[in-house]
Amino acid sequence: MKTSVTTLLAAGLLATTALITGSFAADTIKIGVSGPFTGGSSSMGVSMRDGVKLAIEEINKAGGVNGMKLVAVERDDEAKNELGVQIAQELINKEHVVATVGFINTGVSLASERFYEEAEIPVMNNVSTGSVITKQFNPPDFEANYIFRNAANDTIQSSMIAEEAVKRLGFKKPAILADSTNYGQLGKTDLTNALAKMGVTPVAAEKFNIGDTDMTAQLLKAKEAGADCILTYAIGPELAQIANGMAKLGWKVPMVGSWTLSMSSFIDTAGVNGNGAIMPETFIQLPNTPKRKAFIEAYQKATGLDRMPSPVSAAQGYDSIYLLAAAIKQAGSTEGPKIRAALENLGEKVEGVVTVYDHPFSAADHEAISSNIPVFGIVKDGRVVPAHPEDLDGDKVIRVKPKA
Amino acid sequence: MQIFLQLVVSGISVGMIYGVIAFGYQLTFATSKTLNFGQGEALMTGALVGLTTINFLIGNHFGVSVAFILMIPVVLLFGACQGSVVEWLGVRQAIKTKSEAGWIMATIALGIIFKNLAENIWGRDALKFPSPLPEASLDIGGIRIQPMEVAIVIGALLMMLAVEVFNRTSIYGKAVVATSNDRDAAQLMGINTGRVITFSYALSSMTAALAGVLVAPVTLTGASMGAVLGLKAFAVAIIGGLSSGLGVVVGGLILGIVETLTGFYVSTGYKDVPGLVLLLIVLSVKPSGLFGKSAIKKV
Repeated sequence: MKTSVTTLLAAGLLATTALITGSFAADTIKIGVSGPFTGGSSSMGVSMRDGVKLAIEEINKAGGVNGMKLVAVERDDEAKNELGVQIAQELINKEHVVATVGFINTGVSLASERFYEEAEIPVMNNVSTGSVITKQFNPPDFEANYIFRNAANDTIQSSMIAEEAVKRLGFKKPAILADSTNYGQLGKTDLTNALAKMGVTPVAAEKFNIGDTDMTAQLLKAKEAGADCILTYAIGPELAQIANGMAKLGWKVPMVGSWTLSMSSFIDTAGVNGNGAIMPETFIQLPNTPKRKAFIEAYQKATGLDRMPSPVSAAQGYDSIYLLAAAIKQAGSTEGPKIRAALENLGEKVEGVVTVYDHPFSAADHEAISSNIPVFGIVKDGRVVPAHPEDLDGDKVIRVKPKA
Repeated sequence: MQIFLQLVVSGISVGMIYGVIAFGYQLTFATSKTLNFGQGEALMTGALVGLTTINFLIGNHFGVSVAFILMIPVVLLFGACQGSVVEWLGVRQAIKTKSEAGWIMATIALGIIFKNLAENIWGRDALKFPSPLPEASLDIGGIRIQPMEVAIVIGALLMMLAVEVFNRTSIYGKAVVATSNDRDAAQLMGINTGRVITFSYALSSMTAALAGVLVAPVTLTGASMGAVLGLKAFAVAIIGGLSSGLGVVVGGLILGIVETLTGFYVSTGYKDVPGLVLLLIVLSVKPSGLFGKSAIKKV
């Protein structure tokens, strides 16, 4: 008798929870947002979150998706892998999100995404750049891949950096300076390979740790090897130490590096020494199309900031929501497999801030950003401006991924 | 040759930073045979308090150099308070009960608490500290050095000199020396050794806080700035010998110079290795450190 009562109670409880979640799911679509909102990479995380919020607000104002409102469930992963994993489980099992956007740090991204793959919930990586991120669960090893990205990955960035330095700017003796993290060391390998394809060997490849403050040894090695430019793969504070270290040694060669050279922690701490640093950017804070103008103005109004802390993260965060919304609309459902299928065959052209997405994904290709989309930005007096304004002339202002 | 000298000069300025922090370890170890494993965090909180103070002063129309000088007493006072708190919460009880490891855990725990507090108050981003001296480097016979690096070396030497003069000439300093030589005997002579130990902790955090504001304009300020420096300084204290003030300075210089030289002549990937190898050699050949007095532990 006792057992049957318990079973009955349990069944009743289950039914109620099912009812509650069921009724809740009926009028809102929960989207998880995971990113570092505090810590060293917070400028990217916070900008991304602001972009996401802006897009959700606009979509809801226009009536939502399939008559349902979007709701963001934000979690701070503090750029820590283990925290990212906890958050993934919470968002999947407790919050029952329909999809998740975010991830700034490749490590967090790699650690968390296994859970989304297992739960068949789509993820739109909107900032992290590690090349392997979208390739972990490729078919035929897995039934379907739920991991998508709308950021320029490291393979694209490193070959762009090498090409810019060697072909466009004509440098012949590059030195590579990279930090000792996964990001820096994988980037260094990518850069070396990209240079090798053009028949160039770096004259020096030096390493430093996060938190290092004296770059004299690294810079002197590059200088003695006769380097005519420095290619970087690191994050803001140490990049600033490189720029400041060069000024100290009275030796100035151009810095060309990954998009982290646009981090405010680099620009602000390097000051005038940071001027002239060049990096690939999917978006520069420049109102050169009506969509971008509206986005920048809306961002400034919402945050009260004139300069976006990380324009790339904000724009990609914004676009990631529009891509997802289009897929949910096309799927006519909030079920993960159907959204994934819709993303892989998106019929609607999505007009984003970075580009116009026309069939951005396929079953085999989960990268929305192709190598022709980013342009080079240059640091000038505390801001990032286009390095070659002619790259954005005329119809090149919106650069679209070529059809497969 | 010029490159070698440039590397040595950079090594000296880095090594001096290590030496100053290690000096703080030495101060408390001398009097109480305990040390503050949160020394790096004492440096970090000192630098952050300094940053807030200097920004406040600059906001009130003081020049950067004047603001920097006015800020120093505030930072010293803060350091003294912080050190006293560490001694009171983390060390006093351990000494009283003659606990062998209690103070280790307690000072590490306090270090973590200070770090978390700093993260919540100042955030986790690295912040720029206004430089009181021009940032353009000086060119001395082809060797380039930033004015602030010179200031670090001079400031550190002056500070250690001041402590040394205090110990040798004032009656309070003599109490510190007496306690260092033999705590029990000093107590029997009527010296309040408990107060001397509290004082040495206050002094130790004071030196760390001052080191913090000295290095901050060259490095960056942030909650995580203390971790690496604290650890390196600990290695320095062991190389130089925990019982010798001169030893930690020399140890710091050795480590700093060896690091930059290895970075250049061997590989930047192995920059941290020779320092640690040196540490292992010193530990196996002369465990009390290069300048340390070997102590016989009576059981």
